[in-house]
Amino acid sequence: MINQYKIIKRVFTLSMILAFSSCSTDETQTVVTFKNLVMADEFDVDGAPNSAMWTNWIGTAFNNELQYYTDREENIKVEGGMLHITANKESYEGSGYTSARIETKGLFEQKYGRFEARIKLPWGKGYWPAFWLLGADIDTNTWPCCGEIDIMENRGQEPTRINGTVHGPGYSAGESITKSYNLVGDRFDTGFHIFGIEWGPQYINYYVDDVLYNQITPKDLPVGSPPEYLSNGCLKENWNRWVFDDQPYYIIINLAVGGDYVGSPNAETVFPQTMLVDYVRVYQ
Amino acid sequence: MKNIKFIYLKITLLIGLIFSLIVSCDRDISDEAVLAGFSTAGDVFIDGFTGGLDYYPFGDSYFEAFSVDQETKYDGDAAMRFDVPNEGDPSGAYAGAIFRTATGRDLSGYDALTFWAKGTQSGMVNEVGFGQDFGDNKYQVSTSLQLTTNWRQYIIPIPDASKLTQERGMFWYAEGPEDGKGYSFWIDELKFEKLGTIAQPRPAILKGEDVSQQTFIGSVSTLTGLTQTFNLASGLNQTINAAPGYFTFISSNPSVATVSESGVVSVIGTGTTVITAKLGGVDARGSLTLESLGNFTPAPTPTQDASNVISIFSDAYTNRPVEYYNGYWAPYQTTVGQNDIYINGDNIIKYAELNFVGIQFTKPTINISEMTKFHIDIQVQGTIDPTDYLIVRLADIGPDNTFGTSDDSSGEIRLTKANLNENNWASIDVSLSSLTTLTGKSNLAQVIFVSDATITDIYVDNIYFYKIPTTPTVAAPTPTVPEANVISVFSDAYTNIAGSDFNPNWGQATVVSQVPIAGNNTLKYAGLNYQGLQLGSSQNVTGMTHLHIDYFTGNSTSLNAYLISTGPVEKAKVLAVPTTSGWVSLEIPLTDFSPVNLADVIQFKFDGNGDIYLDNIYFHN
Repeated sequence: MINQYKIIKRVFTLSMILAFSSCSTDETQTVVTFKNLVMADEFDVDGAPNSAMWTNWIGTAFNNELQYYTDREENIKVEGGMLHITANKESYEGSGYTSARIETKGLFEQKYGRFEARIKLPWGKGYWPAFWLLGADIDTNTWPCCGEIDIMENRGQEPTRINGTVHGPGYSAGESITKSYNLVGDRFDTGFHIFGIEWGPQYINYYVDDVLYNQITPKDLPVGSPPEYLSNGCLKENWNRWVFDDQPYYIIINLAVGGDYVGSPNAETVFPQTMLVDYVRVYQ
Repeated sequence: MKNIKFIYLKITLLIGLIFSLIVSCDRDISDEAVLAGFSTAGDVFIDGFTGGLDYYPFGDSYFEAFSVDQETKYDGDAAMRFDVPNEGDPSGAYAGAIFRTATGRDLSGYDALTFWAKGTQSGMVNEVGFGQDFGDNKYQVSTSLQLTTNWRQYIIPIPDASKLTQERGMFWYAEGPEDGKGYSFWIDELKFEKLGTIAQPRPAILKGEDVSQQTFIGSVSTLTGLTQTFNLASGLNQTINAAPGYFTFISSNPSVATVSESGVVSVIGTGTTVITAKLGGVDARGSLTLESLGNFTPAPTPTQDASNVISIFSDAYTNRPVEYYNGYWAPYQTTVGQNDIYINGDNIIKYAELNFVGIQFTKPTINISEMTKFHIDIQVQGTIDPTDYLIVRLADIGPDNTFGTSDDSSGEIRLTKANLNENNWASIDVSLSSLTTLTGKSNLAQVIFVSDATITDIYVDNIYFYKIPTTPTVAAPTPTVPEANVISVFSDAYTNIAGSDFNPNWGQATVVSQVPIAGNNTLKYAGLNYQGLQLGSSQNVTGMTHLHIDYFTGNSTSLNAYLISTGPVEKAKVLAVPTTSGWVSLEIPLTDFSPVNLADVIQFKFDGNGDIYLDNIYFHN
């Protein structure tokens, strides 16, 4: 277990709050059980994100996204107790938009636990904010073989809905295991909401605020034999296998613009806009 | 949209009565009780009307448009049904009404009016909203509504619910036929709701545009394009028209212009100000920058009698229908501006960045064949160079009423520095007979201005055609000089010199008569070549200073008046003709007639042409 950075600023009592809250489906439902805080970034120091915790992804990314990720202050900064990731509409390095993506690869990686963040999302067609995890061995065990856990991703044109998803060999992209959560009488762009998972052997529980809305286990994975040729380089013996007990994962927070998942922004999409992150916390 | 007039038609609903009976209950309020505010009920029509709701159709609408339908409904027992009449239905050509409560409701806890609707066809309902109460309509909201033939839910967000603490206008709509045909639509489950998903308010004035204008003291204009836009749970942006009452308007320099609560901008001083607005604390997109140049001199007020005028643009006359004052003809036109200046009660056209621009009136075209003259007032802003020009072109599209066909014709007036004034009005009067290429005058369709950017900024006012009647319709002005100061030759107002001969035989062709004009005896010279007037006796007018003559002629192109003393010694005075604005009252200093012997005046003479009317010929001091 890698656990170098305990940036713990305050003791948080979310679990107590959650315990007192009535759950939507079952009075006895337990949303969170991991309560030992092992890492937190409260984004309390103005400036660039803590470089001991995060690195910036620079350049373009995947999925036909339109943005160029930078580490400039206009795209990413910590200010007023929040991480600000701002997407701008501007010509930059051949792209029409700029934004930012930070990740803890090589700096904080962990298998199992409770990963959560308190985030206020941008809004409008073409925004694609995400809080997610990738298998730490991605450089040698290429995606999707390494596994991916999307704690939260949102289409800007769906202001009341987020998705929680896992990707792995045999169940990635369009075949990923996903479930959406719809806020009733509220939106994700008008206030902060807590997005989290509790992840243990053979299960991942997804929650938003005090609502546990999904559990993914190996039973949810597809069955069947691998195709003759695996273009993505995954091992055939891993096909349709639960890869979330294998290794530690690292955290990624980003705000993409456009791409296959959301489509391009339209004339009504407002730029710039900022994804605000109040904190990221990990418990065991 | 039609003009909506209020006719008091009230259908009090039974539920209202029942409701008021049920709630009557006697009990003293306790010390802790807080005074009750207005009802916070949100339901408007679920399966019937909620208490206290009345239905008022618009005055010229089809009164039977609304009914409660128990067959077709989205949910429950009944829905509201609206039957839109066919085009031209004598009992009302459109459907429209407001639904108003007798006392206001407190809607401040809601964020939208929601309902389910469907139509017999996928019509576009012109206007649907709330906040219209046949009072101030202070918080009126409207939007258009695209129906489908299946039930669909619609959301009309409240621009700023904190304003609606005692709102009476629960719902209103107006819809005309689609392609001339009537149809029906239904609305059900109509209610105010707190959805919690109405977000990202983005109010706007002037459709979100930043507009700059030059203006003058006295200018009054109303801010338009007032909207509020929200993002809905569906991810779609919903824009609604919001009444000025939702906005707070700000003038950056109130000594230049003020903005009323209803969005009326009044220019009161010289300088620059920026008009902006907020709605619910959010800055509205769009602004109006006004540069007030100070006082404005209006164009001369037209004096033609309205019965002789066909007007296209003038506050002095009733104007013919005009489709537009600027057609924004793509792709080469640069001209901006139209009839959007209103100063001290006077509407004025302003064109800027002029290269060419047209005013069009084809619905219907205008028949000017009875008219003889064209008038227009133009003020050029800035300097006029010797090579600058402004062509005013009149275009007729012929009996086929179609542009670009062989029966079209047009005529041009070319104006230059000689005809126009820098920063001052020039009144242009042109005889239509001089426009020889304008062969058709029965289907006039356009007035076009062409400067090819030599002159770029102009004001235009009083565009009209007129005729000069050959017979005066009113009497000459009644003289006001006291009789004691007058030696009168011909006037009903005075005792005239006795024994004058108004038609001495001097061999003239002129036909002389005395005709009553509006009851006033008037001297008429028909077919003038020359005409004498023999005074009854020699007059010594050396004690007088002026000769007064009222004259009128619609068709003369030459007219001279002569005073004659024994000798004969005579001297001509040229009279301006024709009299384009009715009677002309002329005061001729007697010194103008030198060397005529003013102690021995014996005759008058007129020569020239046309039909001349004369009255009130007298000497006075």
